[in-house]
Amino acid sequence: MSLESQFFLLMKFVIPIYLLAFILYAVRAFKGPTIVDIVLAVDCLSFDVAAFMAILAVYFKSVYLVSGAMILALWGYLLDIYIAKHLVSREVGA
Amino acid sequence: MSVLFYLGAALIVIGALCDLFGALGLLRFPNFYVRLHAATVGIIGGAAVPLFGVALLALGADFLPNRYAIAGASFVTGVTVLLASPAGSHALAYAAHKAKLVQRPEIDHLAEVRDDD
Repeated sequence: MSLESQFFLLMKFVIPIYLLAFILYAVRAFKGPTIVDIVLAVDCLSFDVAAFMAILAVYFKSVYLVSGAMILALWGYLLDIYIAKHLVSREVGA
Repeated sequence: MSVLFYLGAALIVIGALCDLFGALGLLRFPNFYVRLHAATVGIIGGAAVPLFGVALLALGADFLPNRYAIAGASFVTGVTVLLASPAGSHALAYAAHKAKLVQRPEIDHLAEVRDDD
């Protein structure tokens, strides 16, 4: 059994677990009571989509998916900082 | 080089399980400050650990074209997640306490500290 077929066998177990976790995060993001719950769920969702895209880059043998993963990770951090800044001081500017 | 492949595969499996448990905790926990703990499990265990796992797995996989580019980019993304997510979560918790969004947390040490001075 070669390494490639072992990798595809691993992906048959890993990809459904990730999709189930995405669904659970999306449920919390849609029904979150306060705005910080929604932001936290979207934050977890973006970081996990970044990790999932790095896995899919190995699955589809493509380099370009990993650059999108970097952008997603930085976008989640930016969302946190801007929402927190707006909640603390009621403005987003300096 | 297949030792690196198996080590990366083990890290990816651990990351997937941590991701599922973090998502369950984020759905089931009662309070925002308690949900922050589940979010930490889901981010650090479910995103940073699989990214390092993908880096090791791509280094060990000989069937993969451009494997050094995939390994390097996913390693840098893992370090970025490891640095950015605690700062973001901390800022979000501070903002939630400052704007008084969460109704009646049971123990509030920060308000007691603020009342003293």
